[in-house]
Amino acid sequence: MRKRKTYEYDREGIKQSVLRAARSARIEEGWAEQIAERAAQATDGWIADKSVVTEADLRKVLYEELKEIAPDVAFAYKNHDKII
Amino acid sequence: MSDLLNIATIALVGLVQASLQLNLGGLILLYHSSLGKHRRRKTRYLAKSYIWGAGAINLLAVGTCCYFISHIFVGKMNTTWLLITIGALLATSIVMWALYYRNQGSTELWLPRSFVRYIRKKSREVNDDISAFSLGMLSAFAEMPISIALYIVAGNAIVQMSENYQIVTLLGYALLSVLPMFVLKLRIKSGSSVVAAQRWRLKNRGFTQVTSGAGFLVLGLFILAFWVM
Repeated sequence: MRKRKTYEYDREGIKQSVLRAARSARIEEGWAEQIAERAAQATDGWIADKSVVTEADLRKVLYEELKEIAPDVAFAYKNHDKII
Repeated sequence: MSDLLNIATIALVGLVQASLQLNLGGLILLYHSSLGKHRRRKTRYLAKSYIWGAGAINLLAVGTCCYFISHIFVGKMNTTWLLITIGALLATSIVMWALYYRNQGSTELWLPRSFVRYIRKKSREVNDDISAFSLGMLSAFAEMPISIALYIVAGNAIVQMSENYQIVTLLGYALLSVLPMFVLKLRIKSGSSVVAAQRWRLKNRGFTQVTSGAGFLVLGLFILAFWVM
Protein backbone atom coordinates (compact mmCIF):
# COMPACT_ATOMS: atom_id res chain seq x y z
CA MET A 1 0.00 0.00 0.00
CA ARG A 2 1.28 3.47 -0.90
CA LYS A 3 2.23 5.60 2.08
CA ARG A 4 0.22 8.83 2.19
CA LYS A 5 2.24 12.01 2.40
CA THR A 6 2.09 13.83 5.72
CA TYR A 7 3.06 17.42 6.39
CA GLU A 8 3.43 19.86 9.23
CA TYR A 9 0.26 21.77 10.09
CA ASP A 10 0.62 25.37 8.91
CA ARG A 11 -2.23 27.53 10.18
CA GLU A 12 -0.96 30.69 8.50
CA GLY A 13 -0.53 28.84 5.19
CA ILE A 14 -4.15 27.68 5.40
CA LYS A 15 -5.36 31.21 6.05
CA GLN A 16 -3.34 32.52 3.11
CA SER A 17 -4.69 29.91 0.70
CA VAL A 18 -8.27 30.67 1.80
CA LEU A 19 -7.58 34.40 1.44
CA ARG A 20 -6.31 33.85 -2.13
CA ALA A 21 -9.45 31.90 -2.98
CA ALA A 22 -11.65 34.59 -1.40
CA ARG A 23 -9.98 37.37 -3.35
CA SER A 24 -10.38 35.51 -6.63
CA ALA A 25 -14.08 35.16 -5.73
CA ARG A 26 -14.15 38.95 -5.31
CA ILE A 27 -15.01 38.84 -1.62
CA GLU A 28 -14.46 42.10 0.27
CA GLU A 29 -11.19 42.14 2.22
CA GLY A 30 -12.72 42.30 5.73
CA TRP A 31 -15.12 39.44 5.04
CA ALA A 32 -12.33 37.47 3.32
CA GLU A 33 -10.19 37.68 6.48
CA GLN A 34 -13.12 36.55 8.63
CA ILE A 35 -13.71 33.58 6.32
CA ALA A 36 -10.00 32.67 6.51
CA GLU A 37 -10.02 32.91 10.31
CA ARG A 38 -13.17 30.79 10.65
CA ALA A 39 -11.76 28.18 8.27
CA ALA A 40 -8.50 28.08 10.25
CA GLN A 41 -10.45 27.70 13.52
CA ALA A 42 -12.36 24.77 12.01
CA THR A 43 -9.14 23.01 11.01
CA ASP A 44 -7.62 23.79 14.45
CA GLY A 45 -10.59 22.02 16.05
CA TRP A 46 -10.43 19.07 13.70
CA ILE A 47 -6.71 18.56 14.07
CA ALA A 48 -6.66 18.90 17.89
CA ASP A 49 -7.10 15.18 18.70
CA LYS A 50 -4.98 13.82 15.84
CA SER A 51 -1.30 12.99 15.88
CA VAL A 52 -0.88 12.70 12.08
CA VAL A 53 -2.96 14.16 9.24
CA THR A 54 -2.55 14.14 5.48
CA GLU A 55 -2.85 17.21 3.30
CA ALA A 56 -5.74 15.61 1.41
CA ASP A 57 -7.71 15.10 4.64
CA LEU A 58 -7.08 18.66 5.70
CA ARG A 59 -8.13 20.03 2.31
CA LYS A 60 -11.34 18.03 2.51
CA VAL A 61 -12.19 19.38 5.97
CA LEU A 62 -11.38 22.90 4.86
CA TYR A 63 -13.50 22.54 1.72
CA GLU A 64 -16.52 21.27 3.70
CA GLU A 65 -16.20 24.20 6.12
CA LEU A 66 -15.85 26.75 3.32
CA LYS A 67 -18.83 25.30 1.48
CA GLU A 68 -21.01 26.28 4.43
CA ILE A 69 -19.53 29.73 4.98
CA ALA A 70 -18.93 30.88 1.38
CA PRO A 71 -19.64 28.50 -1.54
CA ASP A 72 -17.78 30.65 -4.08
CA VAL A 73 -14.63 30.58 -1.97
CA ALA A 74 -15.02 26.82 -1.54
CA PHE A 75 -15.28 26.46 -5.33
CA ALA A 76 -12.17 28.60 -5.90
CA TYR A 77 -10.26 26.72 -3.19
CA LYS A 78 -11.17 23.30 -4.58
CA ASN A 79 -10.76 24.06 -8.28
CA HIS A 80 -7.78 26.41 -8.53
CA ASP A 81 -5.47 23.54 -9.49
CA LYS A 82 -7.92 22.05 -11.99
CA ILE A 83 -8.27 25.02 -14.32
CA ILE A 84 -6.01 23.71 -17.12
CA MET B 1 -9.13 33.64 -55.26
CA SER B 2 -11.11 36.66 -54.11
CA ASP B 3 -10.12 38.72 -51.10
CA LEU B 4 -13.60 38.15 -49.68
CA LEU B 5 -13.12 34.39 -49.61
CA ASN B 6 -9.70 34.81 -47.98
CA ILE B 7 -11.17 37.14 -45.36
CA ALA B 8 -13.95 34.61 -44.65
CA THR B 9 -11.32 31.88 -44.25
CA ILE B 10 -9.21 34.01 -41.89
CA ALA B 11 -12.28 34.97 -39.84
CA LEU B 12 -13.32 31.31 -39.55
CA VAL B 13 -9.80 30.28 -38.51
CA GLY B 14 -9.71 33.13 -35.97
CA LEU B 15 -13.01 32.00 -34.45
CA VAL B 16 -11.86 28.39 -34.19
CA GLN B 17 -8.62 29.57 -32.59
CA ALA B 18 -10.63 31.73 -30.18
CA SER B 19 -12.66 28.69 -29.09
CA LEU B 20 -9.56 26.88 -27.77
CA GLN B 21 -9.33 26.74 -24.00
CA LEU B 22 -5.70 26.72 -22.92
CA ASN B 23 -5.03 30.46 -23.27
CA LEU B 24 -8.29 31.29 -21.50
CA GLY B 25 -7.56 28.77 -18.74
CA GLY B 26 -4.08 30.23 -18.33
CA LEU B 27 -5.57 33.71 -17.95
CA ILE B 28 -8.01 32.50 -15.26
CA LEU B 29 -5.08 30.85 -13.49
CA LEU B 30 -3.14 34.11 -13.66
CA TYR B 31 -6.12 36.05 -12.24
CA HIS B 32 -6.47 33.54 -9.41
CA SER B 33 -2.78 33.73 -8.50
CA SER B 34 -2.43 37.47 -8.93
CA LEU B 35 -5.61 38.54 -7.11
CA GLY B 36 -4.34 36.64 -4.08
CA LYS B 37 -1.26 38.81 -3.75
CA HIS B 38 -1.61 41.98 -5.84
CA ARG B 39 -4.02 44.88 -6.02
CA ARG B 40 -6.79 44.55 -8.62
CA ARG B 41 -5.29 47.35 -10.68
CA LYS B 42 -1.96 45.55 -11.01
CA THR B 43 -3.73 42.30 -11.83
CA ARG B 44 -5.54 44.08 -14.67
CA TYR B 45 -2.20 45.19 -16.13
CA LEU B 46 -0.77 41.70 -15.79
CA ALA B 47 -3.82 40.23 -17.52
CA LYS B 48 -3.40 42.70 -20.37
CA SER B 49 0.26 41.74 -20.79
CA TYR B 50 -0.68 38.05 -20.76
CA ILE B 51 -3.21 38.62 -23.56
CA TRP B 52 -0.68 40.55 -25.63
CA GLY B 53 1.81 37.73 -25.11
CA ALA B 54 -0.63 35.10 -26.39
CA GLY B 55 -1.61 37.38 -29.31
CA ALA B 56 2.06 37.96 -30.16
CA ILE B 57 2.73 34.23 -30.50
CA ASN B 58 -0.35 33.81 -32.70
CA LEU B 59 0.79 36.75 -34.83
CA LEU B 60 4.37 35.47 -35.11
CA ALA B 61 3.27 31.89 -35.84
CA VAL B 62 0.95 32.96 -38.67
CA GLY B 63 3.58 35.44 -39.94
CA THR B 64 6.13 32.61 -40.04
CA CYS B 65 3.67 30.41 -41.95
CA CYS B 66 3.11 33.28 -44.42
CA TYR B 67 6.86 33.57 -44.94
CA PHE B 68 7.39 29.86 -45.57
CA ILE B 69 4.31 29.49 -47.79
CA SER B 70 5.27 32.46 -49.94
CA HIS B 71 8.87 31.20 -50.27
CA ILE B 72 8.43 27.41 -50.48
CA PHE B 73 5.18 27.28 -52.45
CA VAL B 74 5.75 30.59 -54.25
CA GLY B 75 2.44 32.27 -53.43
CA LYS B 76 0.09 29.54 -52.24
CA MET B 77 0.03 25.93 -51.11
CA ASN B 78 -0.48 23.25 -53.75
CA THR B 79 -3.39 20.80 -53.67
CA THR B 80 -1.40 17.98 -52.08
CA TRP B 81 -0.39 20.13 -49.11
CA LEU B 82 -3.89 21.54 -48.83
CA LEU B 83 -5.25 17.99 -48.60
CA ILE B 84 -2.67 17.15 -45.92
CA THR B 85 -3.73 20.26 -43.98
CA ILE B 86 -7.40 19.29 -44.32
CA GLY B 87 -6.50 15.84 -42.98
CA ALA B 88 -4.77 17.49 -40.01
CA LEU B 89 -7.85 19.64 -39.36
CA LEU B 90 -10.19 16.64 -39.45
CA ALA B 91 -7.85 14.62 -37.21
CA THR B 92 -7.70 17.54 -34.76
CA SER B 93 -11.48 17.72 -34.81
CA ILE B 94 -11.70 14.07 -33.74
CA VAL B 95 -9.03 14.62 -31.07
CA MET B 96 -11.02 17.59 -29.74
CA TRP B 97 -14.20 15.55 -29.45
CA ALA B 98 -12.56 12.48 -27.97
CA LEU B 99 -9.68 13.71 -25.85
CA TYR B 100 -9.70 17.45 -25.24
CA TYR B 101 -10.66 17.41 -21.55
CA ARG B 102 -8.94 15.10 -19.11
CA ASN B 103 -11.60 14.47 -16.44
CA GLN B 104 -15.37 14.66 -16.24
CA GLY B 105 -15.56 17.09 -13.35
CA SER B 106 -12.93 19.63 -14.35
CA THR B 107 -11.62 21.73 -17.22
CA GLU B 108 -8.18 20.11 -17.12
CA LEU B 109 -6.82 19.51 -20.60
CA TRP B 110 -4.81 16.62 -22.00
CA LEU B 111 -1.41 18.19 -21.57
CA PRO B 112 1.71 16.67 -20.02
CA ARG B 113 1.22 17.14 -16.26
CA SER B 114 4.80 18.32 -15.81
CA PHE B 115 4.11 21.12 -18.28
CA VAL B 116 0.87 22.09 -16.51
CA ARG B 117 2.75 22.17 -13.20
CA TYR B 118 5.30 24.46 -14.85
CA ILE B 119 2.57 26.83 -16.10
CA ARG B 120 0.97 26.85 -12.62
CA LYS B 121 4.32 27.60 -11.01
CA LYS B 122 5.00 30.41 -13.48
CA SER B 123 1.51 31.88 -12.97
CA ARG B 124 2.21 32.04 -9.20
CA GLU B 125 5.52 33.78 -9.86
CA VAL B 126 4.15 36.46 -12.19
CA ASN B 127 4.98 39.84 -10.69
CA ASP B 128 5.52 42.17 -13.63
CA ASP B 129 4.38 42.80 -17.18
CA ILE B 130 7.29 40.93 -18.76
CA SER B 131 6.65 37.71 -16.84
CA ALA B 132 2.90 37.99 -17.60
CA PHE B 133 3.69 38.55 -21.30
CA SER B 134 6.01 35.51 -21.24
CA LEU B 135 3.32 33.40 -19.58
CA GLY B 136 0.87 34.38 -22.35
CA MET B 137 3.47 33.38 -24.94
CA LEU B 138 4.10 30.10 -23.15
CA SER B 139 0.42 29.14 -23.04
CA ALA B 140 -0.06 29.99 -26.74
CA PHE B 141 3.06 27.95 -27.51
CA ALA B 142 1.69 25.01 -25.50
CA GLU B 143 -1.45 25.08 -27.61
CA MET B 144 0.50 24.72 -30.86
CA PRO B 145 0.00 20.96 -31.35
CA ILE B 146 -3.71 21.78 -31.71
CA SER B 147 -3.43 25.14 -33.45
CA ILE B 148 -0.60 24.51 -35.94
CA ALA B 149 -3.03 23.54 -38.72
CA LEU B 150 -4.96 26.76 -38.05
CA TYR B 151 -1.79 28.84 -38.40
CA ILE B 152 -1.03 27.18 -41.76
CA VAL B 153 -4.54 27.80 -43.11
CA ALA B 154 -4.51 31.43 -41.93
CA GLY B 155 -1.03 31.95 -43.40
CA ASN B 156 -2.07 30.47 -46.73
CA ALA B 157 -5.10 32.77 -46.89
CA ILE B 158 -3.16 35.86 -45.90
CA VAL B 159 -0.42 35.42 -48.56
CA GLN B 160 -3.15 35.30 -51.20
CA MET B 161 -4.61 38.65 -50.12
CA SER B 162 -3.79 41.87 -51.94
CA GLU B 163 -0.54 43.23 -50.53
CA ASN B 164 -2.33 46.26 -49.06
CA TYR B 165 -4.49 44.08 -46.84
CA GLN B 166 -2.00 41.42 -45.70
CA ILE B 167 -0.78 43.20 -42.56
CA VAL B 168 -4.31 44.33 -41.64
CA THR B 169 -5.72 40.80 -41.93
CA LEU B 170 -2.76 39.37 -39.99
CA LEU B 171 -3.44 41.82 -37.15
CA GLY B 172 -7.18 41.18 -37.40
CA TYR B 173 -6.55 37.45 -37.07
CA ALA B 174 -4.35 37.93 -34.01
CA LEU B 175 -6.97 40.15 -32.35
CA LEU B 176 -9.80 37.73 -33.13
CA SER B 177 -7.81 34.85 -31.65
CA VAL B 178 -7.52 36.62 -28.26
CA LEU B 179 -11.06 38.02 -28.24
CA PRO B 180 -12.45 35.67 -25.53
CA MET B 181 -9.63 36.75 -23.22
CA PHE B 182 -10.49 40.42 -23.76
CA VAL B 183 -14.15 39.62 -23.06
CA LEU B 184 -13.16 37.87 -19.82
CA LYS B 185 -10.97 40.82 -18.85
CA LEU B 186 -13.81 43.27 -19.49
CA ARG B 187 -16.28 41.16 -17.53
CA ILE B 188 -13.95 40.97 -14.54
CA LYS B 189 -13.31 44.70 -14.78
CA SER B 190 -17.06 45.33 -14.77
CA GLY B 191 -17.66 43.37 -11.56
CA SER B 192 -17.77 39.67 -12.44
CA SER B 193 -15.36 37.25 -10.76
CA VAL B 194 -12.86 34.62 -11.80
CA VAL B 195 -14.98 32.07 -9.97
CA ALA B 196 -18.00 32.94 -12.13
CA ALA B 197 -15.87 32.53 -15.28
CA GLN B 198 -14.53 29.17 -14.15
CA ARG B 199 -18.02 28.01 -13.15
CA TRP B 200 -19.19 28.95 -16.66
CA ARG B 201 -16.32 27.00 -18.24
CA LEU B 202 -17.09 23.98 -16.10
CA LYS B 203 -20.83 24.12 -16.80
CA ASN B 204 -20.32 24.55 -20.56
CA ARG B 205 -17.27 22.36 -21.08
CA GLY B 206 -19.24 19.95 -23.26
CA PHE B 207 -20.55 22.80 -25.35
CA THR B 208 -17.11 24.35 -25.87
CA GLN B 209 -15.64 20.95 -26.70
CA VAL B 210 -18.28 20.21 -29.33
CA THR B 211 -18.08 23.75 -30.74
CA SER B 212 -14.29 23.64 -31.09
CA GLY B 213 -14.36 20.18 -32.68
CA ALA B 214 -17.14 21.26 -35.06
CA GLY B 215 -15.15 24.38 -35.91
CA PHE B 216 -12.18 22.30 -37.07
CA LEU B 217 -14.50 20.04 -39.08
CA VAL B 218 -16.32 22.95 -40.72
CA LEU B 219 -13.02 24.65 -41.52
CA GLY B 220 -11.68 21.47 -43.14
CA LEU B 221 -14.81 21.10 -45.26
CA PHE B 222 -14.76 24.81 -46.12
CA ILE B 223 -11.21 24.55 -47.46
CA LEU B 224 -12.06 21.38 -49.34
CA ALA B 225 -15.07 23.03 -50.96
CA PHE B 226 -13.62 26.45 -51.79
CA TRP B 227 -9.89 25.89 -52.18
CA VAL B 228 -9.46 22.35 -53.48
CA MET B 229 -12.55 21.57 -55.58
